[in-house]
Amino acid sequence: MFRRILIANDGSEGAQRALSAAIRIAKRFEAELHMISVEELPRFPASIDEVVEEKTAENHIFGPVIARASAQAQAEGLKLVTHVVPGHAVPTISDFVAGERIDLLVVGFMGHSALYNRLIGSTTDRLVEHAPCAVLVIK
Amino acid sequence: MDNVWLASALWIGLALLASIISIRIAMSVALVEIMVGAVAGNIIGLELTQWVNFLAGFGAIMLTFLAGTEIDIAVVRKHVAASVGIGVLSFLAPYLGVLVYAHYAIGWSWPEAQIAGISMSTTSVAVVYAVMVETGLNKTELGKIILAACFITDLGTVLALGIVFAHFDLWLALFGAVTAVALWLLPRFAPWFFTKVGHRVHEPETKFISLVLLSLGGLATVAGSEAVLPAYLVGMALAPAFLSEPELPHRVRIIAFTMLTPFYFLKAGSLVDFGAVAASAGLILVFLLLKMATKFAGILPLTRVLSFEAREGMYTTLLMSTGLTFGSISALFGLTNHIIDQRQYTILVTAVIASAVVPTLIAQRWFMPRAVTVEEHRDADAEKSHV
Repeated sequence: MFRRILIANDGSEGAQRALSAAIRIAKRFEAELHMISVEELPRFPASIDEVVEEKTAENHIFGPVIARASAQAQAEGLKLVTHVVPGHAVPTISDFVAGERIDLLVVGFMGHSALYNRLIGSTTDRLVEHAPCAVLVIK
Repeated sequence: MDNVWLASALWIGLALLASIISIRIAMSVALVEIMVGAVAGNIIGLELTQWVNFLAGFGAIMLTFLAGTEIDIAVVRKHVAASVGIGVLSFLAPYLGVLVYAHYAIGWSWPEAQIAGISMSTTSVAVVYAVMVETGLNKTELGKIILAACFITDLGTVLALGIVFAHFDLWLALFGAVTAVALWLLPRFAPWFFTKVGHRVHEPETKFISLVLLSLGGLATVAGSEAVLPAYLVGMALAPAFLSEPELPHRVRIIAFTMLTPFYFLKAGSLVDFGAVAASAGLILVFLLLKMATKFAGILPLTRVLSFEAREGMYTTLLMSTGLTFGSISALFGLTNHIIDQRQYTILVTAVIASAVVPTLIAQRWFMPRAVTVEEHRDADAEKSHV
């Protein structure tokens, strides 16, 4: 049913749970497993330094995250194809899903306050709305 | 507020609030600082003491210096016709267009119109760079040309700001001579000095850079020029030294973005008058449209001459229509030196902020050129190895 599965991993606890679920599903369906980590760059920066520093910081965060995730997948006999893409989480992941013809997107649930959700909305909500494929939210 | 510690706690508290908001909404901390400063300035009123003005001014100098260090002279040399051509027109067209409009259409005096023209002539290298990184265009020749052109535009802006209002006297000649000598010596002396003193917790390298910037800035002010002019030029002179030692700019950035630039952006925001924004919304829109229209008139035909594809030409022109830091620095220079009043400052800064957002969104939504992704590069490499 699912041939190409994508797990969105920002290094959070929710993403870790989503990764474990994605590995189980990928094994069951003998699917290709991809992982995307988005280097979130600031919108409308005032200096290049802001962009450079944010990108460097995100790179440092994602190095160990990718290593752990790859080891976890390998332990289950799966090959994890990892992608680090600069941009903003929702459009970047949605574009990636469309471009790579992903069947299933697996994301972790990230709880925010009611006020935050009302004002800004969660990344998970917006991915469910915008991603052009089935989306599984792991809580 | 007489209590300096409570006053500074208020400013740092606002800077911290801006940092937290920027993290949550993934927006530039500088832009959020301007907005937080504007809200605080209009609601509680932020007192601009001498120490606040010093920190804010030093913040603007450091921002400009750091912008100068990002220039890649090799890229400018490689694409000299395209980058200089686009960069010069990107500065001149809006500068002259807005200058003429502000003076003849709405009756601003020549000095006021000059500030308007300079503020609207800018291009935000940072906004352009962020979009390039997101799209992967920063690795392409087109991306490199656009970025190099942005630096040329910024150079035009700081030169205009430094020269238009200068007193043409002996002090200006002295300032010019000392700056020229410093620019000749620094690329030779600074790397040697940095190696000698090494990385220390007491930051002799940063102190040295600050000494140069403040000394030349002081001399510029005496000559009626602007301290950001030598800061940008010194940044360009030290760009190779910063490129070869990435740890140094990282440390300078931490100092600047922690204790200096928040004061600049909060101050820039605090001087925005919400009443003037509401009363002059139409004029703000006219300035924004005029900036974009003049950038189009100047740059778009040149992209055709330089054989850009139609979509690439529109994308380049829209990105070159953005502005933020140098535009706000120019407007604040005008207000600080009593060339423009707070209403005019509000109009210009609001139009500048709008120009960071509107052209970027249009460019990304409708004119994004197809960029070659990392994955495509990998696929291409893999196919080559199979063949």
